[in-house]
Amino acid sequence: MIELQGLTKTYAGKTVVDDITLTFGTGEFGVLIGPSGCGKSTTLKMINRLIPLSAGRITLGGEDIATLPVEQLRRRIGYAIQSTGLFPHWSVARNIATVPQLLKWPKSRIDDRVDELMTMFHLDPAAFRDKLPHQLSGGQAQRVGVARALAADPEVLLMDEPFGAVDPITREVLQAEMRRVHQQTGKTIVFVTHDMDEALSLATRIALLNDGRLIQYERPVEMMVDPADDFVREFIGQADLGLKLLSRRWVHQYQRPPSLAPADALPEPGSHWWLVDDQGRPTALAGARLDDEDAVTRVKAEWVATPEMSMKEALSRMVWYRVMALPVVDGDGKLIAEVGMQGVMGMENSVQTPPATLASTAVRPGETAPTASDGKPA
Amino acid sequence: MSPALSLRRLRSASQGAGVLITLGVLLVALTLGMGQLEPLFRALFPSVSNPLYTRDSYLNLMLAHLGLVAVSSLISVSIGIAAGLFVTRPAGREFEPMVSSLAAIGQTFPPAAVLAIAVPLAGFGFAPTIIALSLYGLLPVIQNTITGLNTVPETTREAARGNGMSAWQILWRIELPLAMRVIIAGIRVSVIINIGTATIGSTVGAKSLGTPLIAGLVSNNLAYIIQGAVLVGLLAIVADLAFERLERRFSFGG
Repeated sequence: MIELQGLTKTYAGKTVVDDITLTFGTGEFGVLIGPSGCGKSTTLKMINRLIPLSAGRITLGGEDIATLPVEQLRRRIGYAIQSTGLFPHWSVARNIATVPQLLKWPKSRIDDRVDELMTMFHLDPAAFRDKLPHQLSGGQAQRVGVARALAADPEVLLMDEPFGAVDPITREVLQAEMRRVHQQTGKTIVFVTHDMDEALSLATRIALLNDGRLIQYERPVEMMVDPADDFVREFIGQADLGLKLLSRRWVHQYQRPPSLAPADALPEPGSHWWLVDDQGRPTALAGARLDDEDAVTRVKAEWVATPEMSMKEALSRMVWYRVMALPVVDGDGKLIAEVGMQGVMGMENSVQTPPATLASTAVRPGETAPTASDGKPA
Repeated sequence: MSPALSLRRLRSASQGAGVLITLGVLLVALTLGMGQLEPLFRALFPSVSNPLYTRDSYLNLMLAHLGLVAVSSLISVSIGIAAGLFVTRPAGREFEPMVSSLAAIGQTFPPAAVLAIAVPLAGFGFAPTIIALSLYGLLPVIQNTITGLNTVPETTREAARGNGMSAWQILWRIELPLAMRVIIAGIRVSVIINIGTATIGSTVGAKSLGTPLIAGLVSNNLAYIIQGAVLVGLLAIVADLAFERLERRFSFGG
């Protein structure tokens, strides 16, 4: 989709981007990462020609971007930056409608599209349409920024540290939304960040830059397991590597069928089972506690897992609530599976049970199916 | 527009509207009804035989004064904004120091001196006054146009470019609306200066509210001076309040 060939940028004799060659495939969520001054932002801005390149070539869907009229090119590429990039004198709706208006869409089509995007980002159109940017919270403003970038259904979305200015909690919520939007739209995304956790949680491929050079371009898990050199190893950070790995594993990959209360017999010692109500929602867990094998623990909403949850989050809930297994529920709260320590240790199920609704998204675009070797230490 | 937004606009619009309307009505009433106050001036200045300026109606003088201010401000604003725009574009950026200092020099000349120079060139009356006023009102407009455009955040401009706006669209849709509050503040200063300074146009024969003032100074008639000064002062205050409210419309909470 986007090919960078020998991309180079020099400012006043200093090379800030040095001969970068890489390809972002269609549907890829590519993350450019590196320490400040590594050239990641410059690289991104050369793709929509906000910065002219000094040497090399960029193609978009096979077309050399230098041959396209620059405004036309930019209207084909969504561009999202920090929330300050919203136009302060325009309402939320008008901000989102920026590119459709430039493309002279009919008004009814623009209105429909604005409503659709606001709904996608959980912003109630009736309440938010006419608000001005300064009336929004940081997270809301950022959602509007991404919605604006997506408005004209661009082929590619470029995002320059879009969540850099929001608080950590909001950032995680926005990252989860970004993953969902990426799955829903299948857009090719190029995302700049300096935060490795953000990169690991979003990317299908990470391009690690240093001093203007591309050090490694690899899928997140592979980069963790097989770093190209010490710089990569250091940049990823070794102390919580295991937890970082878990942040790239999803509950639906490791869940297994739930053990339900046996009809006639008592459960064997050391085993556990779930009690469900007549709607199939989990109500209690018998066993699976280290402190008291026979304890019955009431299921609380806070320690229920969903298939899209990362194993890191699932582990965190297990530790906090002191249970060896979490119930996995669907959108209606029905018990569909369970996930336990076996999943945390990277052991996949002998019987894969992805729920039907997730089958299509179980493997994110641009990412191959996880294999058992994922967890193999380097 | 949502009810909440229009309500907010309405509320901010009503703030201070009372003062503006009251003073505006007073200004019109005094302009039209100065003659009715003759007994008052007679009582205040018993030694003056002719305490009401009657060589021209105050309505005519007010209209002439407004005409001078309107034409000169229009010239100042057109040239000022054009110059400000030019020096903030890539093509004109190198001229910014020159334009700024030229405008500053324009304001250091006393308007009386400009009038003295302009009379031999443009004759007496309207024309030299317009030249002096236009020159004098130029600086605040240029300065505020440059400042206003420079306060548009670089990220906003980058977002506009990144979303595929042309330079022209960025100027019209983003930069000018965002700079407008500061530009209007400059126009406000320029117009207020010109309302006061237009009075000296009467020294070279331009009809204005300065005419009774000058006549009063020449004939030592304090009543004439008060009549002219009250109207000029009131006009300046009303204009100032009106501009303040106009400025507020271009405030976007950030």
